Amino acid sequence: MIARFARPLAAAAAALFFFSLCAGTALAAPDARTLLKDSENRHRTKTQQYAGDLTVVNKEGKVRKKGWRSYREGYAGDAKNLIRFTDPPEVKGVGFLSLSRPGSDNPDQWLYLPSMKRERRIAPQDRDASFVGTDFNYEDMEEFDHEKYKVSLIGEETAEGVPCYVIAAIPNDKGTKSVYQKIVLYLRKDILYLVREDLIRKGEKEPAKRMILSDLKNVEGHWVAGRMEMTDLKKGSKTTVNLKQITFNRPHPASRFTLQNLTREGGD
Amino acid sequence: MILPLLFLISLLLLPCTAEANDFSGYAELKGFAYSERYDGEPYGAGSGTLFSKWEHRPGEAQLTASLRAEWLTSPQDQLSFDPADRRLRRSPLSLRDLWVRLPLAPSHDVEFGRFQLGWGQTDGYSPADAFLPRDLTDPFTDEKLPLWALRVSGQEESFRYQAVLAPVTTPWRLPPLGSRYAPIAAGALPQQTVLREREDDPPVPGFIALRLLATRGDWDLGLWMRTGVRPAPLLQFSLDPALQTGPAPIVSVERRYAREQGVGVELSRVAGLYVLRAELAGLLSKDPELGDAVIGTASVERGFGDGKLLVTLAANAIEPPVNQTLLFDRALLPALIAAWNQTEPWGDWKVVSTTGLEHMDGMAKGEVGYNMTDTWKITTGGDLPYGSDNGALGALKKARRIYLALRRSW
Repeated sequence: MIARFARPLAAAAAALFFFSLCAGTALAAPDARTLLKDSENRHRTKTQQYAGDLTVVNKEGKVRKKGWRSYREGYAGDAKNLIRFTDPPEVKGVGFLSLSRPGSDNPDQWLYLPSMKRERRIAPQDRDASFVGTDFNYEDMEEFDHEKYKVSLIGEETAEGVPCYVIAAIPNDKGTKSVYQKIVLYLRKDILYLVREDLIRKGEKEPAKRMILSDLKNVEGHWVAGRMEMTDLKKGSKTTVNLKQITFNRPHPASRFTLQNLTREGGD
Repeated sequence: MILPLLFLISLLLLPCTAEANDFSGYAELKGFAYSERYDGEPYGAGSGTLFSKWEHRPGEAQLTASLRAEWLTSPQDQLSFDPADRRLRRSPLSLRDLWVRLPLAPSHDVEFGRFQLGWGQTDGYSPADAFLPRDLTDPFTDEKLPLWALRVSGQEESFRYQAVLAPVTTPWRLPPLGSRYAPIAAGALPQQTVLREREDDPPVPGFIALRLLATRGDWDLGLWMRTGVRPAPLLQFSLDPALQTGPAPIVSVERRYAREQGVGVELSRVAGLYVLRAELAGLLSKDPELGDAVIGTASVERGFGDGKLLVTLAANAIEPPVNQTLLFDRALLPALIAAWNQTEPWGDWKVVSTTGLEHMDGMAKGEVGYNMTDTWKITTGGDLPYGSDNGALGALKKARRIYLALRRSW
C-alpha cells in the first residue's frame, strides 16, 4: 500500500554500469529490464518508516487531508507493512497490517477499527477502488514489480526538469490483473529514480492519471521522493503526499508487525 | 474519588496540546423527529454531546482517559456521575476510558482500568460480543458499555490469547419501560398501568473469560470461554398491594441477573474477493427463565469498488423458556442482517436491513454523512422499524424517526 510511496521504482541502465567500465566507447541503448533491476538494487532497503500526510483537492477546490505513520520490513514478496492513521479525527487509530505470504500473490491483510475494538481480516481490495478517498487506487499503492510487466525503452526525454529514460510497461498475460493497459515510467538517468508515471487505463489511449515524484532527497544514503502528486486527469482532482521523518534500514521492534500490536489502541 | 475526578474532568474538557500528550474528541448536536407521539412523548427530541479523550505514551506504556458529557431532552436525568455504569438511567457524565497498558514482554501486555472490549468475528450479531454490556437507552444505536477489568493479552508466533477478569458486573442499561423505546405490548397490562422501575443493585462479581486465537494461512480461528454473571437482566414484574393507591395499577419491575457459562468458536477466511466468517456458541445457565442457548452466526462480506456488502445470518437452536424479547441479547434471533456501506469523495452512506425471521419484523436504516471539512460533518438518516408488534423491532414502530446531526471533531 503506501509502502510504495517511499519505495522508488527504479530504473537504469546496465548501460551506466557498462559506461563506468568503458567510458568513451559507443554504447548500445540500455535495456529496460536491466535498468529496472539496477534501479531496484540501488534503491531497495530492508526497512523503512515515515510519517506521511496527504492532501486531496477536488476539481471544485475542496481540500481533504489525511495523516498516517507507515512501517515496512522486507520488500516485494517478503514485505510486512503496518499503517496507522493519525488524522483526521474520524479515522485516527485505524490500523492496517499486511503480511506477505510466500507463494501467494495476495498478502494476508487485517484492519483494526478502534470503534469496534477488534481486528478484521479483509479480502484483497478491488484494485480500482479509491484508497481512502484519494486519487490513488489500491493498485497504485502496490509496489511496482517489473517482473509482472513486459518492459521496453521507448526513448529518452526531459521530464520534471531532468533527463529521463522513458520505459513502457505492459502487464504480462500471466501478470497481475492490472487496471491499466500501459504504464509509462520516467526514470531519472543519473540516479535511476522514478520521477513520473503516466497511467493508461484499458481501452484508452491517453493517460487517465499522472504521478509526479519530486523533492528528491538523500536520506541515510538512499534517494527518496519527499513529495508525490497523483493527478486524475479526467476528474481534475489531485492528491499530494508529503513524507516526513523518513528512516531506512533501522530494525523494527520484534512485535511491530503482529496482530497483537495492530490491536494495541494508541500503539504504533 | 471526587478530587481525581474533578481533575480528570478539567483535563478532558479543557484540551491543550503537550508533547507526548494527545487530545482528541468531538462535539455533536443531534435532533430527532418521530413519526408519531407516544404516550405523551413529543414528536421531537434532541441531544448534545461533548466527548474528549486524552492519550499519553510514556515509553512502552499507554495511558488513556476519556469522558463524555451529554444532554438529552428525553429521558432526562439528574446530573450525576456513575463511573461503573450500574445505575438504571444513563448519567449525563460518563467515563468511557480510564486505563493503563503496560508491556510484560515484547508481544505481551497487561491492561487494567476501564475500557471497552470487542470480541467475535461476525458483524451485525456476534455471540462472542453479545454478552458484553450494552446501553439500550437509544435502542437504535449499538452502544457498548466499557468494563472495569483486567486484561492480559499476547502473541507467540501465530497464536494469541486474551484473558479478561471483570470483577464488577456492568449491567445492560434499558430504556425506560413503557416509553416509545421500550413499549409494553398492547393488552399485556391494563390501560393506564404505571411501571415503577427500581434502582436495584446488580451483583458485584462480574465474569472471567479467555479467548484463544490462531492464524493459519487464509484462516483465522478462535476459541473463547467465559463464566460469571450475565450482564443482560431478567425482568420481574410484581403487583405490590401496598402501592395500589389509585385507580391505575402500579407494577414494580425488578431486575435479576443469572449466572451463565459460555464457550464458543469463531473463524474467518478469505475466499477470493469474499471474506467468510462464522461463530458457534453454547451458553449454559441453570436459571429457569434463561435456559441454555446454542447460537450460530454466518456472514459473508464482499467489496465492490468503494463499497462493501455484508450479509449475516444468526440463529439460536434452542427455544428460550420465556418470550425472547425479554432476553435482550437474543431478542432478535433468528435474524438476517444485510448492510451496504459506501464511501464517496464527499462522505459516506449506508443502508442496513435487519429482519427478525420469527415474527418477520425488522428495521430499515439509512444514513448519509457529508464531510463539510475534515473536522465538520453533517449526518442525516432514518430508523424505520416495521412488522409484527410481537417482534423486538416491530414493537418499536412508534419510535420511527429521522435524525440530523452536526459534529465537530478535533
